[in-house]
Amino acid sequence: MSTIDALRGRVGAATESDNPFMALVRPPYVLLLPLAVLLLVMFVGPMLAIVVFSVQTGNAISLSPSMWTFDHYAEIIGGMASGEGVYGDVLVNTTAVSAVTTVATLVFSYPAAYALARKIERYKTVFLLVLIIPLFTSVNIRVFGWALFLVKNGVLDSVVGLFGVSNYPTMMYQRWTIILGTTYVYMPFMLFPIYLSMLSIEDETLAAARDLGANRWTLFRRIILPLSKPGVIIGSLFVFILSLGADVEAQILGGGSIFTMASNINYSFGYSQNWPLGSAQAVGLLIITVICGVIILRTINLKEIASRGDA
Amino acid sequence: MSVESRSLTERLGTGAWYGYVALVALFFLMPLFSLVIASFYDGRFFSIVDYEFSLDWYRAALASGSIRSAFMNTVRISVPVTILSTIIGTGGAIAYTRYEFPWQEQFKLLALLPIFFPLILLGLGMSMWANVIGLGYGVVPSIIGELVWISPIVMFVVSITALGIDPNVEEAARDLGADTITLYREITLPLIKDGVVSGAIFAFVLSWNNYYIVSYLSGAQSTITTWIHGRMTQGFTPVVPAVASLIFYVSLLLVVAAFVVEFREESG
Repeated sequence: MSTIDALRGRVGAATESDNPFMALVRPPYVLLLPLAVLLLVMFVGPMLAIVVFSVQTGNAISLSPSMWTFDHYAEIIGGMASGEGVYGDVLVNTTAVSAVTTVATLVFSYPAAYALARKIERYKTVFLLVLIIPLFTSVNIRVFGWALFLVKNGVLDSVVGLFGVSNYPTMMYQRWTIILGTTYVYMPFMLFPIYLSMLSIEDETLAAARDLGANRWTLFRRIILPLSKPGVIIGSLFVFILSLGADVEAQILGGGSIFTMASNINYSFGYSQNWPLGSAQAVGLLIITVICGVIILRTINLKEIASRGDA
Repeated sequence: MSVESRSLTERLGTGAWYGYVALVALFFLMPLFSLVIASFYDGRFFSIVDYEFSLDWYRAALASGSIRSAFMNTVRISVPVTILSTIIGTGGAIAYTRYEFPWQEQFKLLALLPIFFPLILLGLGMSMWANVIGLGYGVVPSIIGELVWISPIVMFVVSITALGIDPNVEEAARDLGADTITLYREITLPLIKDGVVSGAIFAFVLSWNNYYIVSYLSGAQSTITTWIHGRMTQGFTPVVPAVASLIFYVSLLLVVAAFVVEFREESG
């Protein structure tokens, strides 16, 4: 480990130059500069814009830094605290959707990740391919597919119709329909981190524990669960922050009648053209995202993933 | 006897695990099946009993001028995004994995953080920012916006491949007198080639399917995903499943191709 670092240090040192400007046109700086500039200008800038706009007055669409106010925060937090009006609903809907989605994806992904990592040998590539395909299909298209499945006169309707079931309450435009959508859309973000962490468990460890008389429950509690913990943490945080930003699911499957934080932010920007109010709501999302994102990145060990990604 | 019965329960156990994963796979494919079934259906409402196969909606989709222009806009965004994000992301990955420099971990945090951001947050922040700095809206701002999300993903994919390379190989090449250009052309790039190819394919597919960022940055230009979204929220039109299916077929082909690249890497 330290030898590798030392060698890498020598590779770096060989290219260093006395002139700091000349250093910029050499590796590694010339390699990382485009990405750093892109992200500083187009990622850090926009996130600052959200924060600055959130304290602007009225319906500002250009910045005037001398005039600022916390009115939008007061309105949102007041609404959430009293539990009344649109912000009360938004708080309840968003918490319900994100919390239930995180728990549901964890419960359904964990056994599947375990099976994929430890039990499934034949057709493993096919299973992985099938499970990864939705990740690379537009969220619009997947949500639209669920709408076609659930809607009256849709796929489900005509299948259960074959069995003579025709009168059941509509499945669209409910809170649980949105949760079905978010669970579906974000489940790969839970499944794959847990799967990768399960790959790190060595067969010898399990065999040794079995020889020492551990039963299945002990194996699970003392070995599998602790070793898959990083995957569970990364997956849960990932699903939680992404489902906070679920807008298309709420719009299409909730039919525009159930507002979540994301769809309400979108509404503030789109229909009511109130950038400061939308930004103030987005700041909440931004803070949660940055905290969770940094925890995820500190938990992820790229070298470890690289060493077992081929397994 | 006891050995036989244990292997039977073991087989049943393994069968149960396969069954569960197959159920999850079915769940993952369900909306895509529904979409493809609906796209070939000859009529407004669905029925399995008198389902009739038809290509009419595909014909209608290909004939429509607004769909074709939306499709062209998507291509005009996806192709530059693929090329640029592959270059930018690969550069970041090589710098992070093959060198040591000050603020390295902070660079990694900044470079990979956009992956974990909900796209709506990136989209609306960029939309306000584009207005403040005078970037405006359209194809070029959409390209720049998508690069912010996709370049880090390419960097992630390429980094994982690059971390698998033994740094001694590069050191040896240097000792044998290779200059930087030769080192990259002969050693580093060939070794990370598979990672770069999968990264590029993922970049194209993610850009091809992107909705949130283009919906905030494309302005008056409509892309395929914003077109589909617009039609969906206005009620059901039978041509939408056909357009969505066409987009899905392209993604499917490319993801399978990326898998073949990865698989070849494993067996070779």
